[in-house]
Amino acid sequence: MGRKKKKASKPWCWYCNREFDDEKILIQHQKAKHFKCHICHKKLYTGPGLSIHCMQVHKEAIDKVPNSLPNRSNIEIEIYGMEGIPPEDVKEHEKQKSGGGKGSDSEDDEPAAKKKATTALLGPGPSTVSPGILPTPMGPAPPGMYHGHMPMNPMMPPFMQAHRMMMPGMRPLFPAVSMPPTSTSKPTFPAYSNATISAPPTTSTTSSSDPKENGEVKPPAANSCPLVTATGAGSKIIHPPEDVSVEEIRARNIKYRPKPKPDAPVPQPQPAPAMITPSTSQAEVWVAAHMNAAVAAARQQQAAAALRRGVLGGVVGVLPASMPRVPVSMPQMAPVMPMLPVMPQFNLVRQLQPGMLLPGGMGGMGGMGGMGGMGSMGGMMPMGAMFPGGVMMQPRYR
Amino acid sequence: MFNQLGGGSSNPNKDLEVMSPPDDTVSALEFSPPSLQQTFLIAGSWDCRVRCWEVEASGKTVPKAAQAMEGPILDVAWHDDGTKVFMASTDKSVKCWDLASNQTVQVAAHEAPVKTCHWIKAPNYTCLMTTSWDKTIKFWDTRSSVPIMNMNLSERCYCADVDYPMAVVGTADRGICLYSLEGKPAEYKRVESPLKHQHRCIAIFKDKKTKQPTGFALGSVEGRVAIQYVNPTNPKDNFTFKCHRPPATTGGYQDIYAVNDIAFHPAHGTLATVGSDGSFSFWDKDARTRLKSSEMLDQPLTKCAFNHNGQIFAYAVGYDWSKGHEHFNPAKKNFIYLRACYEDLKPRST
Repeated sequence: MGRKKKKASKPWCWYCNREFDDEKILIQHQKAKHFKCHICHKKLYTGPGLSIHCMQVHKEAIDKVPNSLPNRSNIEIEIYGMEGIPPEDVKEHEKQKSGGGKGSDSEDDEPAAKKKATTALLGPGPSTVSPGILPTPMGPAPPGMYHGHMPMNPMMPPFMQAHRMMMPGMRPLFPAVSMPPTSTSKPTFPAYSNATISAPPTTSTTSSSDPKENGEVKPPAANSCPLVTATGAGSKIIHPPEDVSVEEIRARNIKYRPKPKPDAPVPQPQPAPAMITPSTSQAEVWVAAHMNAAVAAARQQQAAAALRRGVLGGVVGVLPASMPRVPVSMPQMAPVMPMLPVMPQFNLVRQLQPGMLLPGGMGGMGGMGGMGGMGSMGGMMPMGAMFPGGVMMQPRYR
Repeated sequence: MFNQLGGGSSNPNKDLEVMSPPDDTVSALEFSPPSLQQTFLIAGSWDCRVRCWEVEASGKTVPKAAQAMEGPILDVAWHDDGTKVFMASTDKSVKCWDLASNQTVQVAAHEAPVKTCHWIKAPNYTCLMTTSWDKTIKFWDTRSSVPIMNMNLSERCYCADVDYPMAVVGTADRGICLYSLEGKPAEYKRVESPLKHQHRCIAIFKDKKTKQPTGFALGSVEGRVAIQYVNPTNPKDNFTFKCHRPPATTGGYQDIYAVNDIAFHPAHGTLATVGSDGSFSFWDKDARTRLKSSEMLDQPLTKCAFNHNGQIFAYAVGYDWSKGHEHFNPAKKNFIYLRACYEDLKPRST
């Protein structure tokens, strides 16, 4: 089909960006690579078809199209050959082809991504869409419009909803699916949220998540959120679906929100320092700024050396030497709580033998390991007591 | 959860357990620098605290002290003289903890949680390097509330490492930026990522002969590590390898886990990786072989560290959120284990 117009772009697979000479081959490819049931190897016709099959026959939830690129793994979008590809992606594909394909560069050694034809070379003509896809003169269709183009029957949405709702009860083979919709806020038609990511995953989609000034890193808007998806055959990356570090996801959790600092102003180092350019004057400033630091460091080194030699009585002896680096605000920060004798053994000079931790040394490990220390450690735990009202923060930034 | 999948027990490698481990997942783990006679271990945790233990020659660990911040800890770093510890938190600040006086003072601030902190000791200056999700990298004289230097990152910082005169930062959106610290910190170059998935951990390695930093190892959430030279003599010097991918079990699907941390052995130049799958592995990057792989633990390994002479390998065990918050079991204990590792990490004889 696609080759009838000689100038038209080759049919390509939405799931893996691979190009084919003939849409028939493309369909064969999709059936074999993307719509094959990993359990019984039955070849289905579409992503939703595979999903339904696995759910009904094997009671397995499939959340991603096998062997698909990240961002193109949506199982709920109905694509058959070139039909059903989101218009934005078609457009993007054209652009990639014409605009000197950045993005089809690095090759993974995973088999699925092995072959990427990057041969098509044509201008961004408006009619380069292969006949399979409905022409969309208005460019990237807004989600509402897009609805109409979907070769999908009206009974599809309810099913997909039901499909989603069944997930939590399923075996967490694909834990990503059982994520409650809070994290990525998947719309009923996740297809849309993904469809707008038109750049191939190899081009870095500039993330839209700007850290808010309150420090809370906002989850990227659902419709621009890249996803973590395995490229390989039959593999699954154990990671939340959103391509954001687990630390950021975790820090959003209410449990880990930093406690509000009662009256301490948010420490905003001012003035906002500009980017430092390597000019001589600034280099001088830099060096000057460090003269004092270097002096202090030298003192500290002496102190540390003394500590190594065991000459000094211990940390207490070191303290004065290291004082200069401690800001003047120190005295205001007297320890608030009854501390344990501070690091009582810091000053003990003990040789660290090589060969420590050998099995022989394990005998004493069991329970006696510093119970005294443990006790005092436990005593320190109540954190509220340690920081009554943000006293610690204020001195420096008032 | 992990148990259901047939994973191992809490200490299948028979390693030494650190006493009084943190109450929540360990997010940072560092041994004291060689300037100290004894060996201390500090660990930052999601429970907002940083703890310090002395590790005795017998392997016995004695809890020494702890400090808390307003938010979970994301990184810790030692001052080179071993008297102070820096703690970076989601509360957007970094504090300096003077171990001798057991007092803390704020030394750095960002506009978003601070992801990493590193102490830089150069011949002509010392400073604290901090990176944050606010897409900046800052360098601080610890006595001033204004950074000495402030540079923009392409994205939120996910990982960083410092080995004078080199610093490297890995960011979201697969960014890598190298910094030269000689004279003063300066951006050296931005590097295209050798990996295709989210960056998670980064560690600088040294050249075997010159003992100068010459490249870095970068780990991603896709169970893969890239060995990347700054100036490779041969393009084939750079390579990636897969790790933390337990053999396929469930329905023929292979689970791929994140590489949570990478550490280079200070004496041998070999490396250790710990993964979300609950295992650690030792590797020889030059021979391109695995030296050892551990038994599987029942929880992810979040961090690892070698002590300064490479006798001890420490690794932290706890949930890393890789399966989402619903798999978080607060009742599950967190652990830090110590292991005599000097022999295990000897490079393959050539």
